[in-house]
This record gives sequence, C-alpha cells and structure tokens, in this order.
Amino acid sequence: MIFNKIGLAITFSPNGLALLKTAKRLQNLFNSDLCLIHVGDKEPDSELKMKKLLDEVGIDGTKSELVWKKGEPSKIILSVCAEKDVDLLIAGALEKENLLKYYIGSVARTLMRESPCSVLIITHPTQDAVHFRKFCATVEYTSLGEISLTTANEFAKLEHAEELTLIKEFQIPGLAITISDSGSTTETEQKRIAWQKEEEEKLNVFVKELKLTANEIKTICLYGKHGWESGNYVKEINGDILVIPSPPKKLKLFDRIFQHDIEFIIKQLPCSLLIVKK
Amino acid sequence: MNLSVQEITLFFICVSVLLFFARATGELIRYFKQPIVIGEIFAGIILGPTILGSIFPDMFNYLFHDSGTVNIALQGLITLGVVMLLLVSGLEIDLSILVTQGKTASLVSLMGILFPFSLGFFAAYYFPQELGASDVNLRFVFALFVGTALSITALPVVARTLMDLNLFKTDIGFLIIASAMFNDLVGWIIFSLILGMIGGQSHGVPFSSLLLLLTGFVLFTLLIGRKIINYILPYLEKFTTYPGGVLNFIFVLGFLGAAFSEYIGVHAIFGAFIVGIAIGDSVHLKEQTREIIHQFVTNIFAPLFFVSIGLRVNFIQNFDPGIVLIFLVLAFAGKVIGCGLGAYWGGMSKEESLAIGFGMNSRGAMEIVLGTLAFQTGLIHEKVFVALVIMALVTSISSAPMMSFFLKKSKQLVSFVGLLKPEIIFFSKASTKKEIIKELCDKISIYHKLSSEKIFNEVMVREELISTGLEKHLAIPHAKVDIQKPLIAVAINKNGIEFDSIDGLPAKLIVLLVTPKNDPELQLKLLAEISKTLGNKDEIDRLVELNNATEFVLNFKQLS
Repeated sequence: MIFNKIGLAITFSPNGLALLKTAKRLQNLFNSDLCLIHVGDKEPDSELKMKKLLDEVGIDGTKSELVWKKGEPSKIILSVCAEKDVDLLIAGALEKENLLKYYIGSVARTLMRESPCSVLIITHPTQDAVHFRKFCATVEYTSLGEISLTTANEFAKLEHAEELTLIKEFQIPGLAITISDSGSTTETEQKRIAWQKEEEEKLNVFVKELKLTANEIKTICLYGKHGWESGNYVKEINGDILVIPSPPKKLKLFDRIFQHDIEFIIKQLPCSLLIVKK
Repeated sequence: MNLSVQEITLFFICVSVLLFFARATGELIRYFKQPIVIGEIFAGIILGPTILGSIFPDMFNYLFHDSGTVNIALQGLITLGVVMLLLVSGLEIDLSILVTQGKTASLVSLMGILFPFSLGFFAAYYFPQELGASDVNLRFVFALFVGTALSITALPVVARTLMDLNLFKTDIGFLIIASAMFNDLVGWIIFSLILGMIGGQSHGVPFSSLLLLLTGFVLFTLLIGRKIINYILPYLEKFTTYPGGVLNFIFVLGFLGAAFSEYIGVHAIFGAFIVGIAIGDSVHLKEQTREIIHQFVTNIFAPLFFVSIGLRVNFIQNFDPGIVLIFLVLAFAGKVIGCGLGAYWGGMSKEESLAIGFGMNSRGAMEIVLGTLAFQTGLIHEKVFVALVIMALVTSISSAPMMSFFLKKSKQLVSFVGLLKPEIIFFSKASTKKEIIKELCDKISIYHKLSSEKIFNEVMVREELISTGLEKHLAIPHAKVDIQKPLIAVAINKNGIEFDSIDGLPAKLIVLLVTPKNDPELQLKLLAEISKTLGNKDEIDRLVELNNATEFVLNFKQLS
C-alpha cells in the first residue's frame, strides 16, 4: 500500500466537495483509511451540513473518521495529521481569477512546508473527482528520491496511467563564463552535450536499478534551473500530476525571495503536485 | 568639438593595433593552456612604455600619447569595455546558488573573504610604507583596499581552470564556483565603499549619505528591480526581434546602472555589476543570450581594457621586487590558507582543501580591474599597481597546475577505468551468485583492509532488493558503505553464473562496485561509465575470452 491513511481538511465550499470526492476516490484506489478534519465550531447547523456532504460523497464511517477542532487551520490540520498517523495530506490549490493559473494559498503553503507526511496539492478539483493520466516525476539521486520515484510508479500503476515521465534536471552554474576566456562557444557547447549524455546514461542506470514497472516510462534530462525547467516541461506536455521529493530543508522567506528548486513549481503550479516525504 | 580626419584615422589605427595584438598574444598563450586574458595583458606590456616605448618611443608616443583627443576617445572606449566586463560578470552571479550553498561552500566563501581581507588589512595598516602606500595619512583606506584586493577571486579564470581540469561538473567545481561568486559579490561591494570614501570626498557627498544611497541602490536592484526584469524579459522575447531586443534591454539597463553609481561617487562598473546580477538571475534569460553577450564583450570590448593596462605604466621601471614579493606572499597565504581551512572544516580532505585554496587563489581579470581603478583614483602608485598585476598573473597561472597536483588522488576525478588494476581482477570458477560475490568481497578486503563480511552483507541486502544482473553476460553487484573512496573488484567466470539478469543470460563478467555511502551519485556515475563502455555484447565476450588480468585492463582502456 502506498499510503495507509489519507488526511483532508474539509470545508463547505464547492471546492471542498470536489476535494472530498477526490479524496474518496484515492481512498478506494489506495485501499486506505480516510481522516477528515473540519476546523470550526461543531453546531447543529454545521453538523447537518457535514452529514449531507458526507452522504453525497458516500462516506459512511467505514475506514473513515471525522475530527472537529477549533483553532488556527494549519496548526490544527498538522497536529491531527501527526496524531492520527496520516501519511498523505490532500489540499486544494487556489485559482487565479479567470487566468486558469493555480497557486498555493497561505494555508496550503504552510501545510506543505510543515507537514510531517506527503502532501498532494490538487489544481483542478472537479465534481467528477480528479483522475491522473499523465504522470511526471522529478529525479533526485538520494534515498528520498528513490522513494519518490517508486511512489510515483506505484501510483501510476494503480491509476492505469498512460505514461510516467521521469525528469532529471541538471545545471552547471557559471558555464557561460568559460566563453569569457576563449570567446568561443564551441568548447562549451561540446562539453554541455557530453554532460547531457552522461546525465542521460546515469538516469537510465538509475531507472533500471529501481526496476520501475508503470505502463510507459519515459525519461528526459533537461539543462537549466532546477524546478523551473521541470515545471515548464510538465506544462508543455500537459502533465496531470508531478511527483517530487520534499526539499531537504524547510523553505524560508529567503528562499521565496531568491527562488530556487521547488519554489518555481509552487509559485505557478503546472498541474497537481505530490510532494513525497519519508 | 569634432575630431579631425587625422585623429579619426589614428583612433581607428590604435583600436585595430590593440585588438590585433590582444588576440595574437592571447591565442599564443592559450597554446600553452593559459587564460587568454594573460596574453592580452602581455600585449599591453609589449605595446606600452615597457617595450615599444623603450625601443621605439616615437611610435609609442604617436600612437598612444601625443594626441589628447584620441586618448580621450580611447579612454571612453576602454571605460565602456570595463563596464561591459563587469555587467557580464554580474550576469553570472547566481543568487539562488548563494542561498542554497551548503555548509562547506559557505565556509569556503566566508573564509575566502575574512582571512585574506584581515591579513591584507592588518599588513597594510601596520606596514603601509613597506606595501607601497602612496599617502600614509590614507592608511586606513589603503589597508581596506589591500584587504579587498587579496579577497577577490576571478570567476572567469576559475571557470576556465575548472573546464581544463574537467572539474566543472564535480562537487569541488560547484563549491569553487559558488564560493567565487560570493567572493566577487562581497569584494565589489567593499571596493565600492572604498571608492565611495575617496570619490565621495571629492564630490562633497558625506560618507553616511553615500552609504545610504548605495545600500538603497543594491537592495532596490536586487529585490525589486530583479522581479521587474524577470517580468519584462519574456515580453521582450515575444514582441521584439531576438536577440536584438533583449541585448538592447540588457545594455541599456547596465549603462543606466553604471551612470547612477558613477553619479553618486562610486565607479560606474559597480552599477553595471549589480544590474548584471539582477538580469542574470532571471529564469527567462536564455543561455544562448548569455553566450552571445559573452562573445560580444570578450572578443571586442574586454581585450581593449586588458591591453590598455600595459599602456599605463612601465612595468620594468616600476618593478619593485620587495613589494611584488610581499603581495605574492600575502595573496597565496590569504587565499590558500583561508579557503583551505574553510574547506577542511567543511569536511574535505587535506588534498582537496589545498586544491580548493589554490583554485580560489586565481585573481586574474578582476584583480586587474580593481587595481586599475585604485591606480586611477590615486589610491595606489605605479609600483603597487605593477605588483598587483604581477600577483594577478602569477596566482592565475599557478592555479591549474597546483589544483591538478593536489587532486590527483581525489575521488572527484575518479573513473572506473582509473580504478581498474590487474591485481583486483581474477578468474573464478564459482557456480553460484552468492559464492562469486563472496570471492569479490574477499578480493576487495585483501587490498583495502576492509571487513569482507560487512561488504558482503551490504551487497546481499541490495541483491535481495533488486538483482544486479544486467544484460549481455554482465552483472554489477554493488553497495554503499562507510568508506571515503570507491573500491572495485572484477571476476571473470567463463562458464557463466545465473544472476537473474534482465535478458536471462548467465553473467560472465561480474564487477563489484563499493562506493561511499555519502555520495550516491558517484555510484551512478561509475555504473553509467561501465554500462556505456560495455554496451556491446561482442565486447564483453571478447573481454571474457582473455586469460590475463593485464590484458583485460589494456583492452578495457581501449574501449573507454
């Protein structure tokens, strides 16, 4: 089982219903438990609304539980996740008005940054529940990177996804400076091509090593800034979900000012995003 | 005032002579694997008072001295060249790398500034005359200058050295580049303050106001300006002719930044440098655009500046062995000890730390820009200027050979073919996978004094997880253990062993690869090298047919 318990903060908005349907679908897919968290007062009126909502989605209490708590949303959600051993937390992304562009709101950002477990950010919550057909995953040669890829592989298999594209980004900072010396791009270009081949070779070995078995596995090596290149590529091929390993350290304000890696993806989500944590 | 026909003619002749000699000596020096910039400086020394001025003084005076108006025009062009050079240097400073750099790079960066700066500052403050200060009353500013001059690392020379040594794509390469970027940034900020101290006084601007203006300019450009540029660039690429529109935008902004910093009493180059950083940080700036700018500036404008250095002073008359020696000792001690200690504290080996120290020691072009400006503002006199240029040349020339010397045994340059020695190759008659892995582990333990059992257990854990039998009779069992350098052993089993291979064929060539636990990418690099070299079944069959370990090594080397 990839995930044993799914967590979702439940709200009474149309988006909330759509996310609930997606969570229910994933619960069935993973055969996992579902932990629903509602931040707010437990009053007769809201209890009734909640019952109606759960009935509509078909959640009847088997393999699922509902937690009502008052307080600051992100803190409550995180504490419940830790307390109930949730290993996948689902959150919705916000849509920029009429721009069809998605971004992560402040609550989701805090959840993503602070969450002890993996986080799935859904960009197009619809009433029909989201299905993922085109999987993409960024490659990192670390143990978390391996976990992230095997998770993407298992998820893609369960979803009967059309394809799983593995993206490895690499960049040599300061490479263009070498042109300063000779004034020629030839050598720099040749080196870049050689490094590209070396990276492709490494990626192939890595994928073979992991013995991934999803439907159709594609690999691609991109030269450029981490996070930026993969985000653009996923957008270009219309990927449905991007799986990435969680960054090694918590992102702080400084990281948002001088963007790098995951910040590029978070700033403008190319599609739904699964951040895998250990 | 208009230039006469004769003056315009002379101006173009001068530019042609400078450009021709710059390229000719540059190419000559490149032949000896040295940075082209060194050749360009030599060209200046040849054309300047040192050689041409001594042998043919009339010709030298006619070309570069007599006509005041032509000289002014040339100076304008040279200033343009140095401003562009700093704009380009700024483009390559990657702020996100400075934010994300790890502990070792941070230590190397900090120590690469703090140690040489303190060393230079205190030496110049307490012994100003010995170091050639032009005015003992200005000893504080002079000491600040010497400190900064010793902290500078020239990114272009570093990049060239890393490229030549094939180190660009290694941890050490990344570390040196990130640290050099940081040093460049801090060095130029400190130097701009020094120039402000001198320039501000002459402009009548109090230092506190200048500090405020400068801080405001840097913060605005790097925080807000950077975002605006990042927003505008994609539109420019979309709606203007490429690359004309983008190049125009970059140079217009760069020159405006230069104008502003010159106006507030700091040299024009500083503004161009900071604007360069803001532009270079944009994800929308294509690699191709960077390369075009580099070619444009490097081939035309920067050489004019570097040649002009030799035109300024007589290097023989102003050569003071005492000052040169002091600067050389301070330069080497400051960077090699400072950066070396930083790297060592960051966990690098002694050899690697020394290599990093020497890598960071190359001062190259940036030192010369710094020295030229200090010379122009009267902060240093000719002898110190000559000492600085010589120091820049010696540190740059010595960088590559010293790095190469200390990195000989480093894992940074490790390759499978480099690890392959006849003594770790043997012919086996084992009949099971377990048996042959045990033999391979024993082989490694004999030569490297490691516990065979420990390696065996790690390899088997991996083997149980995923079998390492590949295709075409090749198997590469491997494991990551707590070691510093990778180890290998090779077994040839002519009968073949069942290894759960992808193509079902028995493994005849079995390579055991044991790599350091803390470097997962190294394992992949070596695995990729083996599978790339042995991509052909016939080649593997040919190697398996050999009856001698030495022949095996020779044949493998031919394939790679």
